[in-house]
Amino acid sequence: MKFLQALRYFFREAAVNLLRGWKVSLLAVLTIAVSLFIGGAFLLVSGNLAASVERWRGEMRVVVYLRPDTSEADLRRLAAEAARAPGVVSVEPVTAADARRRFQEISPGVAELMAGWQEEPLPASLEIGLETRTPAGRAAWLDGWRRRPEVTLVDDDREWLGQLETAVAVVRAVGLALVGGLLAAAIFTIASVIRLTAYLHHEEIGIMRLVGATEFFIRGPFYAEGLLQGLLGGLLASGALFAVYQALHARRSSLFASILALDFLSPKQIAVLVLLGAAAGLFGAVASLRRESL
Amino acid sequence: MIQFFHVSKRYPSGQMALEEVTFHVPRGQFVFLTGASGAGKTTLLRMIFREEVPSSGQILVNGRNVSSIPAGKIPYLRRTIGVVFQDFRLIARKTVFENVSYLPRILGVDTQGQKRLAYLALRRVGLAHRLNAFPPELSGGEQQRVAIARALINDPDILIADEPTGNLDPDLSREILRLFLEVNLRGTTVILATHDRETIQRVGRRVLTLDHGRLAGDQELVGTDPPVLEPPAEAEIPEPAEAPSPGAAEEDSVPPPPPEEAAE
Repeated sequence: MKFLQALRYFFREAAVNLLRGWKVSLLAVLTIAVSLFIGGAFLLVSGNLAASVERWRGEMRVVVYLRPDTSEADLRRLAAEAARAPGVVSVEPVTAADARRRFQEISPGVAELMAGWQEEPLPASLEIGLETRTPAGRAAWLDGWRRRPEVTLVDDDREWLGQLETAVAVVRAVGLALVGGLLAAAIFTIASVIRLTAYLHHEEIGIMRLVGATEFFIRGPFYAEGLLQGLLGGLLASGALFAVYQALHARRSSLFASILALDFLSPKQIAVLVLLGAAAGLFGAVASLRRESL
Repeated sequence: MIQFFHVSKRYPSGQMALEEVTFHVPRGQFVFLTGASGAGKTTLLRMIFREEVPSSGQILVNGRNVSSIPAGKIPYLRRTIGVVFQDFRLIARKTVFENVSYLPRILGVDTQGQKRLAYLALRRVGLAHRLNAFPPELSGGEQQRVAIARALINDPDILIADEPTGNLDPDLSREILRLFLEVNLRGTTVILATHDRETIQRVGRRVLTLDHGRLAGDQELVGTDPPVLEPPAEAEIPEPAEAPSPGAAEEDSVPPPPPEEAAE
């Protein structure tokens, strides 16, 4: 039999088997869909978190707070000095008066807190914008600022950004481990379903073998069945992920949704998800019939 | 066509199923294989289509040593051998057409071709009008005829039948036996296992007798009441434009089966 003709036969038989035993098939499809959905969700969350981190990294800055008695001339001098360092994109000197005005503008409800002071209540500072990539010696440069007598505090955004990056890596690792476990469970389910189907067909398989069917011809429909179950599971998972993403995207005014629902998975990632389902299904079928004499 | 040379079969339990069996069945011969239950008839038959392998000795079928052919070649051997069992082995949820057309499907024959071949095979056993029936709707005799049609669909060189009339009443048994004799008349080598000595005496032909795994007899019998057989119909049949629809009348003429052979 020609290969394409054989494939057509395999998939037709597989479709008939899927429909005939739709309850157990649905169980297999759902198990694989759930594991791929969770895997896809982790991919989506970690991808969007990583994108957010990347975006924030572009907006990253270091704020150097100065002693209250720092003069405006010293502020300008320190700003000029900071601007000469490598990797510094911008330096904005903020006087104590500027800081007060900015606070009053941002928080008009509590603006009166800033009134009635004999001295300026907020310190002067330097807001230093940095390049996204970190040049060598950046930490030592910041430590140098910390040791200066005019400086009271150096607030570095990179510290919590680094922690966030660690969190993204953890999310990815946990997701990967979870998906590995769930996929193994899904493969086991598919293998059991295929074994059950093969058992239900053992009489027919016997006849096919008797009249001269090759092993490839006998096993082909079962492999196709596993493949179809995995494929359906992958498609179902992708659809469900898209629905959840859309729901989150509609509420992107909330901080949580705005971080997690920036972008959906790329077509390539979806293809990988669906193919992973198909591969898991096929693997389950092959594993279930590997040692079976059918 | 079929040659057994000192064939013995010992099962792992130690039971000896066959012992030093040697015989030769030439092409086109009709052979009864007889003996009491447990004499080794089924084991012998299963060896011909490589369902069993001998513990020692050689078996040649069509010049091929079946005990040493690689596993991947067994299907090709089986496509030249039709097998019929006492219990029919039909799939209840499949139609007569589907039950009969396993081999053409495996060979990649298209659906029209499969129908044509199934029709021809069923016409030989007088059941062309039951193409769309399901096995449970048929009588025992009809089910056995469907099983024979399945075995005949590819015009096999050899037809093996293991107690094919064991589940049938005497009238139906005679009918089925006549079918085997007609198949043989067309040139197919037939080996039919039965313990019905009366039928063998009546029909005649060559008789191989097994006793506790040994070949206890090999004789040519002249039948006391041999059935009158129709000469085989000529294959020249006017060719219609289309294959007959399932359920067409038996008298419908159909073209001979297409020579579709697979390049599997």
